Amino acid sequence: MQNNPGNAQTFVHSFIFFLLLSCLTNQLSAQETKPLINATLSGLVLDSLTKEPLPGALVQIEGVTHSVSTDEAGAFSFITGQKFPFTLIISYIGYDKKRIVINHDKAEILLKPGFNQLNDVVVVGYTTQQRKNLIGSVTKVNPAESKDIPAGGFDAQLQGKVAGVQISSNTGVPGEAVNIRLRGATSINASNDPLYVVDGVFLNTNSLQTVNTGGKATSPIADINPADIESIEVLKDAEATALYGSRGANGVIIITTKRGNFNQKAKINLNVSQGIAKAAKLWDLTTGPEHAELVNEYYRNIGQPEPFRSVNEVVNGVSGRGLPSEQQTYDRLGEAFRTASLTNADLSVSGGAAGTRYYLGGGYNKQESILKPISFDRVSFKVNLDQKINDRVQIGTSNTFGRTGRNQARAGDGPQGGLLQAALHTPTYLSPYNDQGLLVGRAGFDNLTLLLENYDVHSTSLRYIGNLYADIEILPELKFRSTFSLDYNNYNEGEYWNNQLIAGSPNGLATSAIGQATTWINEQTLTYRKSWNNKHVFGVLLGNTLQGSTLERTSATGRGFASNDFKLISSAATSTSSQDWEKYNLASFFGRIDYAFADKYLLDFSIRADGSSRFGSADPWGFFPAVGAAWRVKQESFLKDITFIDDLKIRASYGSTGNQNGIGAFAARRLWSGVGSSYQGIPGISPEQLPNQQLRWERTDQLNIGLDASLFKEALDISFNVYRKYTKDGLLPVTLAATTGFDSYTSNAAEISNKGFELAINSRNIRKQHFTWQTSFNIARNINKIEKLDNPLNYGSRDLILFQEGNPLYSFWVYHQLYVDPQTGDVVYEDVNSDGRITTADRKIMGSIWPDFYGGLTNTITYKGFDAAAFFVFSYGNEIYNHNRFFGEAGGARDAARVIFASNLDRWQQPGDITDVPRTDGVNVNNYKDGGSRWLEDGSYLRLRSLTIGYTLPKSVSEKLHLEKLRFYLQGNNLFTWTNYTGLDPEAAASSSPNEQGIDLGTPPQPRSFQLGVNVTL
Amino acid sequence: MKSLKYILLVSFCMTLVCCNKFLDVQPKASISGENIIVDETSANAALNGVYSALRTYYSVDFQSIAYLSGDNIQWTGSQSQVQEFINHQVNAENATITSAWKGIYVAINRANQVIKNVEELGDDVIAESVRNRISGEAHFIRALAYFDLARTWGGVPLITQPTLEVKDNTGIPRSTVEETYELVLADLDLAESLLPETTNRFQATRKTVWALKARYYLYNKNWHEAENYATRLINDNANYELLKPYYAFFADGVTGTRESVFELFYNANELNPHRGQWQPQQNGGTRQWAPNNTFVNLVNDPAIGGSRSALVAKDNQNRWYGNLYYRSPATDPTYVIRIAELYFIRAEARAELGLLEEAQADLNAVRSRAGIANVTTSSLADLLIAIENERRLEFGLEAHRWFDLVRTNRATSVLNITDPNKFLMPLPAEQLLVDDTLEQNPGY
Repeated sequence: MQNNPGNAQTFVHSFIFFLLLSCLTNQLSAQETKPLINATLSGLVLDSLTKEPLPGALVQIEGVTHSVSTDEAGAFSFITGQKFPFTLIISYIGYDKKRIVINHDKAEILLKPGFNQLNDVVVVGYTTQQRKNLIGSVTKVNPAESKDIPAGGFDAQLQGKVAGVQISSNTGVPGEAVNIRLRGATSINASNDPLYVVDGVFLNTNSLQTVNTGGKATSPIADINPADIESIEVLKDAEATALYGSRGANGVIIITTKRGNFNQKAKINLNVSQGIAKAAKLWDLTTGPEHAELVNEYYRNIGQPEPFRSVNEVVNGVSGRGLPSEQQTYDRLGEAFRTASLTNADLSVSGGAAGTRYYLGGGYNKQESILKPISFDRVSFKVNLDQKINDRVQIGTSNTFGRTGRNQARAGDGPQGGLLQAALHTPTYLSPYNDQGLLVGRAGFDNLTLLLENYDVHSTSLRYIGNLYADIEILPELKFRSTFSLDYNNYNEGEYWNNQLIAGSPNGLATSAIGQATTWINEQTLTYRKSWNNKHVFGVLLGNTLQGSTLERTSATGRGFASNDFKLISSAATSTSSQDWEKYNLASFFGRIDYAFADKYLLDFSIRADGSSRFGSADPWGFFPAVGAAWRVKQESFLKDITFIDDLKIRASYGSTGNQNGIGAFAARRLWSGVGSSYQGIPGISPEQLPNQQLRWERTDQLNIGLDASLFKEALDISFNVYRKYTKDGLLPVTLAATTGFDSYTSNAAEISNKGFELAINSRNIRKQHFTWQTSFNIARNINKIEKLDNPLNYGSRDLILFQEGNPLYSFWVYHQLYVDPQTGDVVYEDVNSDGRITTADRKIMGSIWPDFYGGLTNTITYKGFDAAAFFVFSYGNEIYNHNRFFGEAGGARDAARVIFASNLDRWQQPGDITDVPRTDGVNVNNYKDGGSRWLEDGSYLRLRSLTIGYTLPKSVSEKLHLEKLRFYLQGNNLFTWTNYTGLDPEAAASSSPNEQGIDLGTPPQPRSFQLGVNVTL
Repeated sequence: MKSLKYILLVSFCMTLVCCNKFLDVQPKASISGENIIVDETSANAALNGVYSALRTYYSVDFQSIAYLSGDNIQWTGSQSQVQEFINHQVNAENATITSAWKGIYVAINRANQVIKNVEELGDDVIAESVRNRISGEAHFIRALAYFDLARTWGGVPLITQPTLEVKDNTGIPRSTVEETYELVLADLDLAESLLPETTNRFQATRKTVWALKARYYLYNKNWHEAENYATRLINDNANYELLKPYYAFFADGVTGTRESVFELFYNANELNPHRGQWQPQQNGGTRQWAPNNTFVNLVNDPAIGGSRSALVAKDNQNRWYGNLYYRSPATDPTYVIRIAELYFIRAEARAELGLLEEAQADLNAVRSRAGIANVTTSSLADLLIAIENERRLEFGLEAHRWFDLVRTNRATSVLNITDPNKFLMPLPAEQLLVDDTLEQNPGY
């Protein structure tokens, strides 16, 4: 930001604006009466069952914002201008909130431990609300349930926990990007990732990886330790997300990290676990003799001599390779996969004094991938601190530091360094040694042993996410908050390919890249909230945000090293370097007015104006309004006496949100570039991009109607939402005719709709003192459709994915294999245009990666000290393209260039054979065709994602050990997967690119894992 | 109160105004603006951009269409689109076809940009000789680009103005192949008049234009002109000669030898990806394709291949690979026109003109350089076959075989292609979708 003096100026201006506003409101309220009498009130807050003191409980006098918290002995005291009697509101996490009329000093207040969710505090845009007063569609997640699932980031752990959030883990490599879609996808080229807000900081979720790992990318979310997270709120509809305006079109995920409590003695929490992971199954391959037989069969089919014949039989000057029965079988998969180890340790200390509270957290996590030599480790520190300066001013800070290290490898695509190309795709009959006894790569791939010994691709991500805030209570009703936030990511990566590997031949290759992503945010909010006569509650929120994001990268490549021991680019014979720079700024103003009448009718209206530098100077601004209303039907007199209904609320909202992610920072401008334009070592320039002055915000309008009910003394909570999203001005690279000399330009050219429903049920089946059983279930359905797209767009290998108007995004585009003719053994395809030939015109859309239904089911049981939880996720009706099998089912046509899967043995061999595997006629001819539907499979699955059994020592025992709590647990993950998919993992995807999902090639599966852990609280 | 409101309003406006400044972020990696080519320096830089685009489409895509479609190369990798050329069953979706077509038009657009902008520059910012040279080189590259389009696809949309807005240069129907060749000749004529008669093997000069004109006339069966222009270079002994042995023009890391009339330049910062397709894994390549058994046998026959056997080598698994592009770092030049080609052009032109003996002499000049015996034939037909076979070996791994067989109508008998529609490649299917004025070649 030093680059632009305008920034600082802008700060100053926005500060002035808010200070003036503050002054104004100060003046207006100056007439308010001062209290005449000062009464002292003190008391105790205790657990109603155990009568133990509750330190850190919040005590508040109704109608006044002034509050205190209890000390270690559960005691509190007030000096107040109110007269007895008055009403106190006492709240404490895990206990029912209590409203009590006090008419004397030294009150003893008993709080009942509760599961009352209605008064749960839910974090929403720039504020918090009680669940019962929510208008928008918001789901709160308790991360404790899933934080032990071995995955790099909390995003992967959220799978199946929130209705309407669809998550595919894509890979068994920990810390790699997952595919997350909230209520479908709204955009083709702008990002479809939700906005992540960590303690008010908008998180950068773009991977800084540049090393090519075959389409996969690291996840920047894995830099955050899930153990530090207190709660996760998922904001789904327009009412909830509108305050995030331009950022909210794909939903918002708000992460609140743990903080201490005022007046709480230090609490130490230690959690350690150790585990192992192993692939549940691996691919089933032909043996050497079987491979040879199939190859011979292919050559017979095309009328050529069998290559697997006696060595002495020379045909056209070429000797035979030996009879099929003489072939060996070499197991490479067993060499590449391992039993991986998982280690996790978290230690935290939290507590507080009268005006101070703190949370310190440290974490270490190391996860090996089941595929050698990939691994992930993270060291993290967390410091959260809040300080009350006086009754009206509180300051505080949140800080996350993380260092994430990775040993990376290209698992899938690409001949150079491709681990699964070497391990899986190399024919099993080929020896790893050549005639001279040297290890050699076969079939154009690296030698697996050499690859595993010499793989050296690593990255280190240093991450700081933090903010500093000041809360000022100008009046009891009027609060001002200013924050300054920073998300800084330094990503350092390097590769070294020695001369034993293809990429490093003949003299070694090294690359190094350092990327830095910096996002700073300055934000001011002013909130006003007042109630009259216990009937009217009125609130106003005004705010502004300034944000600057910069991405810088310097990279270097060195070729030619004296020996394999020299690894730094400084010793390379030739080296080249490069530098990238990108920056964009965002300025936003937002406001909200809400009104509640008699706790019965809730209304709000919000608007956000966003300006983005990405849209050029012509019109950077977008305005995103939303309106919402809720009716708490239960509060009506006609439901007063219906006792089985505890709460019933109907909600509706409508509004707009925007999107500008995913397009270039300078997408609107005419650009000339120096990149790739030099000649003879002399710099050159060339036209790079055509301008689009009309470029503007992508905009999504969303209607949401919801119903929340709480029944049978809150034993059953039901939340149901239906929604419709319609996206206009979709950002998209519009393909230009090649005759222009350009590929495409960025334009607002697409329209996409999503509609669907979500149902979440939370049932407390049994609530006894020693025995509880709780069931959470969620299911969602989303229907996605491209409403407008002038020219279809292809993505993925062999154009397997097609975006076409009238069809969903991410649809598969294939030749429909009807059957294999039992007489000829040839594939009969559907001749879509009935012209008697099978051409590209006969490719058609058959399914997509969208499931018909998806969701999760959790059952939690506690019995005395024991606890058990079983967590299932499911997805039904989604398709997946088994691209591994495509390569492995070429019959013998790929000969020595590819492995053959055992499934190919079911081929047609003689007239009358009924099978769907045809005889082999070549590569991409008829029977074995690029893009055939034979490899498109049903990707539905039900997976036991985790099963946990724990035991907590009885309090009497743990107290003797001077521990507050001691729990042991055993957790198994991905124990069972029920699916018809013939690959290893129905969630697998070869690429992290959002538009190339659902193609399974060269991806290690998510492993089955077991962990043993202990959790100690002091 | 009133003043407060006023201050509030002003402050709000100031914030907005300031915001617009805040939102105006200028790029650094690229330059944004309208007038980029303004003087000699920027004109030269833009010309480098044109060469760079020429190099991009020539390095692998365009050349591979020509040699894969011949009969020297076999496919050994995983991408079946490579096999389509070898089988002569190219689909309109073929990725190489698409990227070659696009790459050529990128070069054309950049050339158009230079031609237009340089012509508009006044004498105060650029010397006339420099302006002529730059414009001449851009015209030459545009001529070569259209020549490559015409011989691969037939008539194509003719674009001669730069694309400035997204609506420019789309929806232009295909011209006939004759019109396309007319544009090639017009550009070559203009380039010939604008360029100096100097020797430069990496950039176009008047001599480079002559060489391409010789090839142009050969393709268009104007034997007199083909002989005329070929002779101009062959007679320039001081600058061009057939280097002996054959591999002297590429082995040992040499560039810009006297063999070369026009080659594209690479260095450690401007790498040529071509070697990766040819070299075996032990040398860091993928050996995506390799010389087939027939070619290996021919080139290794001392009486046929001679010193051209240096084009192939064996890897550590006893497999043959092509070794014309072998350097590490990958700085192998792309050979566009070699002096050997001009001998062949003149041999063929002279043969067609009935000058069999002179033709034979030109052919034997190339043969003797390869270290093999002279041929003596008495019939035109035999001589033409001899030239054809010699070209097959001489340009075994270069971009000639397919175009030679097609232009001489020999593809049917040599490659067994029964459908003459296959002599032209299909237009990229995706381009037909984007631009509905484009018409596909018949048979696709």
